Amino acid sequence: MEMFGKQQMNCEQVEAIVFDLDRDSALDAPERAAALSHLSHCSRCAALQESWQAAREELRTLGEATLEAAAPARVEMRLRQEFRTKHRTMVVRRGTMVAAWALAAAALIVGLVGWRNWEQSRRAETAKQTKAEPNAPASSEVAASQTQPADILAAALSSADDLGDFTPLPGAAPDLTEPSEILRVRMERGSLGALGLPVNEQSAGDWIQVDLLVGNDGLPEAVRLAQEEN
Amino acid sequence: MRRAAQGDEEAFALLYRRHQGALYRFALRMTGSAWGAEEIVQDVFMTLIRAPKKYDPERGSVGALLFGIARNRVMKHLERIPREVPLEEKNEDGSGAGIVLQDNFTPAKWMEARERMHQVRAAVLDLPAEFREAVVMCELDEMSYEEAAQMIGCPIGTIRSRLHRGRALLLAKLELLRDVPRRMKVAR
Repeated sequence: MEMFGKQQMNCEQVEAIVFDLDRDSALDAPERAAALSHLSHCSRCAALQESWQAAREELRTLGEATLEAAAPARVEMRLRQEFRTKHRTMVVRRGTMVAAWALAAAALIVGLVGWRNWEQSRRAETAKQTKAEPNAPASSEVAASQTQPADILAAALSSADDLGDFTPLPGAAPDLTEPSEILRVRMERGSLGALGLPVNEQSAGDWIQVDLLVGNDGLPEAVRLAQEEN
Repeated sequence: MRRAAQGDEEAFALLYRRHQGALYRFALRMTGSAWGAEEIVQDVFMTLIRAPKKYDPERGSVGALLFGIARNRVMKHLERIPREVPLEEKNEDGSGAGIVLQDNFTPAKWMEARERMHQVRAAVLDLPAEFREAVVMCELDEMSYEEAAQMIGCPIGTIRSRLHRGRALLLAKLELLRDVPRRMKVAR
């Protein structure tokens, strides 16, 4: 800056700052003074400055012409509408989220309570069974005798070991590899004759229990006297 | 801004009214189009409504944020429609925006001034976007170089350089448009 205080500026230097000459804050005092000194004796640079001042005035007029320009009121209306819509949507979304979380929490609580109850009842049942186990056969026998119907006691037995003492009925060929059911029946001994077995006429009126091996087609294939005959 | 982000419509309206004028003028002077400026202002505030978290008080003022968004939208607009010399701008009430008819203006003078203003506006709009931005901010909006640099987010030297080149280009255009170029007249 010192150099401008002592030396004259040339045209190139003035051209670099001529647009800022009327801006107080843009140049410091020695620089401005040196430029003004140059302008006082250089008509070319003075003309440039004059042109710029005229142009700047026109720019200022243009600026003033739009000084009060503002967005139309419809913009504010549109924005307000958008603002309302957005925040209403947010409130609804927030409500939905709260409801969803509440439902999820409720479902979780119900699930936990249900599981806890089930677990408790299961434990209680196990404990009861453990206590009752020594008497279990007797009680089941009693239960069986109480619930058995008068004529037919059906017992589903699937063990193949029980099949050894069956007598095949005439005309039937039991397939021991096929799953079959054993049906316990109470009948008169004479009824065995209807199945094709020999019967002693003297004891034909006795009541007996027999196990019938019933095939998949529902027909008896073999028979044996029940071991626990009363 | 905090209240507006929480859904306070009146706070939002206050924010809009405080900033819309400056943003609209900047957009209008940059694009030369009233509808373009309207779209840009609307877009700026829509962005604020949809993403209020864009505002971080630690990074600057709301005004700076809005101006940044507006500037971005203006540049996109200019990329889409590079040069747009506007027709007569109208106010909302339908009257012409521009020169105020003064008592000592004859119709001929008024027409001349009006014509000249169109020329100046066209010359500004003809500047490359970067130079135009500097001219609009420092000459039309009368910002200081520091303010302009802060708004654009560039060093002050960049603003000075862009402004100098913008002014030189503008001056050349305006001189060409004059009936008798002033420099020639003075040189004679």
